[in-house]
Amino acid sequence: MQRLLALIVVLVLAGCATTQRTSFPPPEGPAPPETPRPERPERPQPPEPSKPSEPSEPEEMPPRSAQQASSPAVLSLLNTADTLARNGNMDRAASVLERALSIEPRNPFIYQRLASVKLAEGKNDQAEAMARKSNSVAGDNPFVRADNWQLIAEARRSGGDRGGASEATGRARNYRTSSQQWMQ
Amino acid sequence: MAQKKRSTRSTGRRSGTKKPVNKRRGFFRRLLPYVFLLGCAAAVVLAGYMVYLDSAVRAQFEGMRWTLPAKVYASPLELYAGLGLSRSDISARLDRQGYRASSSLARAGSYHSSSNQLDIHTRAFTFWDGKQAAREIRLKFNGSGVSSLSTLDDKGDSALMRLDPLMIGSIYPKQGEDRILVKLGEVPPMLPAGLITVEDREFMTHWGVSLKSIARAAWANLRAGGVVQGGSTITQQLVKNFYLDNRQTLVRKGKEALMAILLDAHYSKPEILEAYLNEVYLGQDGSRAIHGFGLASYFYFQKPLEELQPQEIALLVAMVKGPSYYNPRRHPERAKRRRDLVLDMFHAAGFLEDDGWRQAQKAGLGVSARSVRSTSQYPAFIDLVRRQLLGPYKDNDLTEEGLRIFTTLDPAVQAATEKRVAKGLDKVEAGRGIKRNSLQSAAVVTSVEGGRVLALVGGRDAGFAGFNRALDARRPIGSLIKPVVYLTALAQPSKYNVITPVDDSALAVKLANGDTWRPQNYSKRTHGNAVPLHYALSHSYNLATARLALDVGIPNVIDTLKKLGYTGDPLSVPSLALGAVDMAPMQVAQIYNTLAAGGYYTPLLAIRDVTTRQGEPLSRYPLKIQRAIDEAPVYLTNWILQRVARFGTGASMYNTLDSSLNVAGKTGTSDELRDSWFAGFSANRLAVVWVGRDDNQPAQLTGATGALQLWAGIMDDIEPRGLLNVPPEDVIEIPLRMRFDPARGADGSSRRDCRGTAQVPFVRDQVPDGLSDCDSDIMRENRYRRRQAPEQRKEDDRNWLQKLFG
Repeated sequence: MQRLLALIVVLVLAGCATTQRTSFPPPEGPAPPETPRPERPERPQPPEPSKPSEPSEPEEMPPRSAQQASSPAVLSLLNTADTLARNGNMDRAASVLERALSIEPRNPFIYQRLASVKLAEGKNDQAEAMARKSNSVAGDNPFVRADNWQLIAEARRSGGDRGGASEATGRARNYRTSSQQWMQ
Repeated sequence: MAQKKRSTRSTGRRSGTKKPVNKRRGFFRRLLPYVFLLGCAAAVVLAGYMVYLDSAVRAQFEGMRWTLPAKVYASPLELYAGLGLSRSDISARLDRQGYRASSSLARAGSYHSSSNQLDIHTRAFTFWDGKQAAREIRLKFNGSGVSSLSTLDDKGDSALMRLDPLMIGSIYPKQGEDRILVKLGEVPPMLPAGLITVEDREFMTHWGVSLKSIARAAWANLRAGGVVQGGSTITQQLVKNFYLDNRQTLVRKGKEALMAILLDAHYSKPEILEAYLNEVYLGQDGSRAIHGFGLASYFYFQKPLEELQPQEIALLVAMVKGPSYYNPRRHPERAKRRRDLVLDMFHAAGFLEDDGWRQAQKAGLGVSARSVRSTSQYPAFIDLVRRQLLGPYKDNDLTEEGLRIFTTLDPAVQAATEKRVAKGLDKVEAGRGIKRNSLQSAAVVTSVEGGRVLALVGGRDAGFAGFNRALDARRPIGSLIKPVVYLTALAQPSKYNVITPVDDSALAVKLANGDTWRPQNYSKRTHGNAVPLHYALSHSYNLATARLALDVGIPNVIDTLKKLGYTGDPLSVPSLALGAVDMAPMQVAQIYNTLAAGGYYTPLLAIRDVTTRQGEPLSRYPLKIQRAIDEAPVYLTNWILQRVARFGTGASMYNTLDSSLNVAGKTGTSDELRDSWFAGFSANRLAVVWVGRDDNQPAQLTGATGALQLWAGIMDDIEPRGLLNVPPEDVIEIPLRMRFDPARGADGSSRRDCRGTAQVPFVRDQVPDGLSDCDSDIMRENRYRRRQAPEQRKEDDRNWLQKLFG
């Protein structure tokens, strides 16, 4: 029952994050099912391996979504993990995300997804630890940090720490505000 | 034992000796009734015995359950665009896994290499998370590695592909049989056909024993004047392997024949043949007996049975006659002669065409290299796996159930580490006039993030399964403890930052037992009372560190040590500050891994997943992380550890490493130069190396002259990525000129330009007053300020700032 509740929380959270961003150039939205997408043009030259935590030039917008920050290999794993998580296979989703981490060990979006999987499993401490780890490799990325603090707030709330939760919500709000500078 | 069992197999059957005919017929006639009665009694006994044997045969065969040792797999290689491995790196890995270079990709387990691309027909494999079908893929390469991955078959696109993992060993009992089960329908047809041709031509028609082959063997033996041929059928050989020990008596022969007849009566030929394929003894690997063709195929060729070529099948069939006599690793010429003979028999029997026969005759033995005396290629790592499994699993779960254990070992990292340890020790001994082969070593390599153990070396000869120094050699860690002391201090940012002056003057501490502790610097010199904190660590000053540790409190240092992942209970004594605590390399790796991961503790794991023999998941070892220490002081500590590497005691690493690579690390040396340590990390690799002597005599090496030399070689070979230095949320960086020189003290030039500055990290809101961009290292002022009472400071600050800028 609690798991179900947590899952709903994650889905709501995901929904939140998406609606928050609807004013931006359209994000890729919820991940498509795992099936290969023939319409995706084959890229002979893949993008440079992402270094999400490298300090970015002030003019350059930090990546807002995993799609912008991950290699095709990692993206395909993230899609698989999303499908598994949506079907309630949290443990297998976590396993796939760990596989993605071994390819890109400092990709904050992977840790962020792991955090939401842990939250859905009711493992609040792990959820918070994963979200903080995501922050620690996110560099100066207010988009990622805002979502992570939101996750931390949820984790604390389900753990019964109301004070901690509202502090985290405050931080999330601050990062969301500071992310607005990229939206002008 | 088992070796003997097979080598005596071919000694053949002895025919019964004849007794002289009794001429006293009258006597015989009188005896006849008794003989008859005796005969009847014997028949009854025999019948009873047959019933007994029959039930024994059936019970064993029907409950046929071989004990199946757990199979241990290395981490599978992930192939994807962006992978930083060259074409030759990947081909080497394919060769190691028994993939065959071939012009066509018709069969799984083959590859084709051309100028800038590599086509691979991967093997199907059941991973812990499901089955992956065999695929045909194409990798293209550029200067930095794999530039694209595409598929050549019609099974859809894929952005990444896992290679089947290398099987690195089994967990079997001390004196045990090891095997991989195969099904008759799945082996290459040439194998059963060849076995029947060579071992037992009448197999399909006889009923367990073959008078014809006994006669033929007897005739051959008679002609040769000794035992050259055995008359045992495949069924008899199976019975002997299965039910009997290896004593070769007439009674046993009789029993064997009876049981063979019973077996043949109850079971079909294919059932018997399949059992034989899985039971037959085919070699010895230390205390491990290699049983069955499934395992033999991996043991000799490092690939599955389905992929064997005719000459490889012929070699295995040839070896049935005497696996140690025809051991292809020990007696290659003898083995090849018999293999060629077997190939001729294959050819004559008609299931090897002329072309294939000629080609096979020309081929070498193709046996994979492997240390003959080791029980596995990676004994130290398998030992770690076994220990990590022995909580949740009982000994016989591991040795009997055929579990599949997926580990974190990276074969390329392991190979590089083994090589660099062995060669590094040779070089250190030669270069420093140390007796050859007197030094020992151990090394641990991890992935940093995720805490995966990628390689483990337990001694100089990594293939030798002896004392596992990486886990069990506990030695004083010396200066490796220092970062823990500094981290404890830097976790109090209102008191300490990286340029806080620390006191490196002589020290005497009265101990509880009445003794006085008088530590000294390695150089036996002191460096005044105002050494910048970072400098004292990067040059491993003992006095400054001891004073700092006493300032923050030894119990607090121990507390930090435990937060980093140390599970022991060290004595709370002042000398702990200089490393008076014994640890094994693996324990050091755990502590440094937490530092390397930015203060996040992850238990070091060698296992990812365990499944049943059929692939059903049993246990997963999920990633668990814990925020052990605040990120800011860890960042500051790691920043200093990078200065150790650049300018301090670790600087000689850049004789080996590319100077653009940012790494962090620390040397360690114990009293009287007994132990030489280095622990260090890049963004994706952490390695800990210990060098010393098993008898604990002085190795005559410091951390820098011994372990560091091996460490640098290892790091250079394992694809390190440099540290990125992205400050965490509450750290800011200020450019400062770092110009401390212990010979001149804090003064130095009064240049105030921006040349020669370094980005120095501080905890936000705890930046010492008076620092500004391009400022110099304000040692004197800082020192002055520490002496002032806090109330006075504000005023002084103003004065001081006015002095400078006013």
